[in-house]
Amino acid sequence: VLPAFRLARAYTVADALAMMAEGATPYCGGTELFLAMRMGLLRPPILVDLKRVAELRGVRRAGDTVVIGAGTTHAEIVADPIVRAAAPFLVDVVRRVGNPRVRAQGTVGGNLCFAEPRSDVTTALVCLGATVTLRSAEATRTVPVENFVLGAFETERDDSELLTEVSVPASAADRFVYLKYQIQERPTVAVGMLAGEHGVRLVIGAAGECPVWTDVDSVGDIDVPAMVERLEIVEDVTGSDDYKRHVAGVYARRAIEEFSRRAA
Amino acid sequence: MTSAVESLTVSISVNGQQGTHTVPARMTLAQFIRDQLGLTGTKISCELQVCGVCSVLVDGRPVSSCTFLAADADGCDVATVEGLSANGLDPLAEAFAAEFALQCGFCTPGFLMMAKALLRANPHPTREEIVDHLDGNICRCTGYEPIIEAVLAAAGGSDD
Repeated sequence: VLPAFRLARAYTVADALAMMAEGATPYCGGTELFLAMRMGLLRPPILVDLKRVAELRGVRRAGDTVVIGAGTTHAEIVADPIVRAAAPFLVDVVRRVGNPRVRAQGTVGGNLCFAEPRSDVTTALVCLGATVTLRSAEATRTVPVENFVLGAFETERDDSELLTEVSVPASAADRFVYLKYQIQERPTVAVGMLAGEHGVRLVIGAAGECPVWTDVDSVGDIDVPAMVERLEIVEDVTGSDDYKRHVAGVYARRAIEEFSRRAA
Repeated sequence: MTSAVESLTVSISVNGQQGTHTVPARMTLAQFIRDQLGLTGTKISCELQVCGVCSVLVDGRPVSSCTFLAADADGCDVATVEGLSANGLDPLAEAFAAEFALQCGFCTPGFLMMAKALLRANPHPTREEIVDHLDGNICRCTGYEPIIEAVLAAAGGSDD
């Protein structure tokens, strides 16, 4: 049973921002929020549903960027022809998020804003060098995803702001690797690796509060022990600090091997 | 925009039966289906979107009804396990019986609705696609193999 709340529906971003100014918590798929409410971790007095806000949905190509509406579901992203052509790495990650029910309801914006440290979506978007658009009644700003996630369940978004879009640099490059160690609904460790215009980026996600990444010209320059050192590990039933650091190092090295094999 | 309310009137079709209902904002779709409509085929267990027993379809998409608001199904078509026996037993349910794909039966409504969602989108899935799609459903009796066989059989049976 969920705790009691009052429910409003927004039809435009302006509606949503107005409700948020009155203290409403925005939600779309609810795949994170309702679980936290069910567990008694959150008790928002007012919710505003964003599912009917057309501005927040869908995918478009804008020059060298794929712009994904924050309210686009994981399943819609996986099926979208623009994303499939211009961001195959994102498709490869998102098609394995949670389970088919989570993918049918959960949205890219909601996933980022909840900032669950084990988010596959966050790890992938950091790897891709994606940015998010934050809109308030007064201003609009763009923030790189790596600066958006500040810690476990903590983001750069102010309560007066709505995450409206995610912009992903278009790259048809099929030279990428995403490896994860997962024994529950979310990974214990996830490692993404992608060749871009400016070299190779490797990201270690899920294990720490925030993803840790490095950009290198050549794969041989990746210093795995130094990256593992930088992780602020979140200990849980799937592992202790020592254990997760160890597994993160192993998976990073495996990702590098796999990536190098694909280059050959 | 609608103002924030504690309860609201929704129009929901369940297994083809259209109805208008007043529901509390906090009411989940599972509570609505079970308590308000008396359709108790849909089960509730983990309430965290992990076990899959509460799976129903909303406009054809699979949903964990334990953590989905009844209010969010406003204007939608909901399909529950009861709909699979509305006009004789659905071939998928027949296949579950033929393949012994259930024992205690508690998880079965969820598996049936998830499999229904898969076959709707992909009428001829491979074994791997079936395993992948049913990954979010838990069965403690069968060991899963008979369930996979049943879905394969149902998919094969609809070959024409």
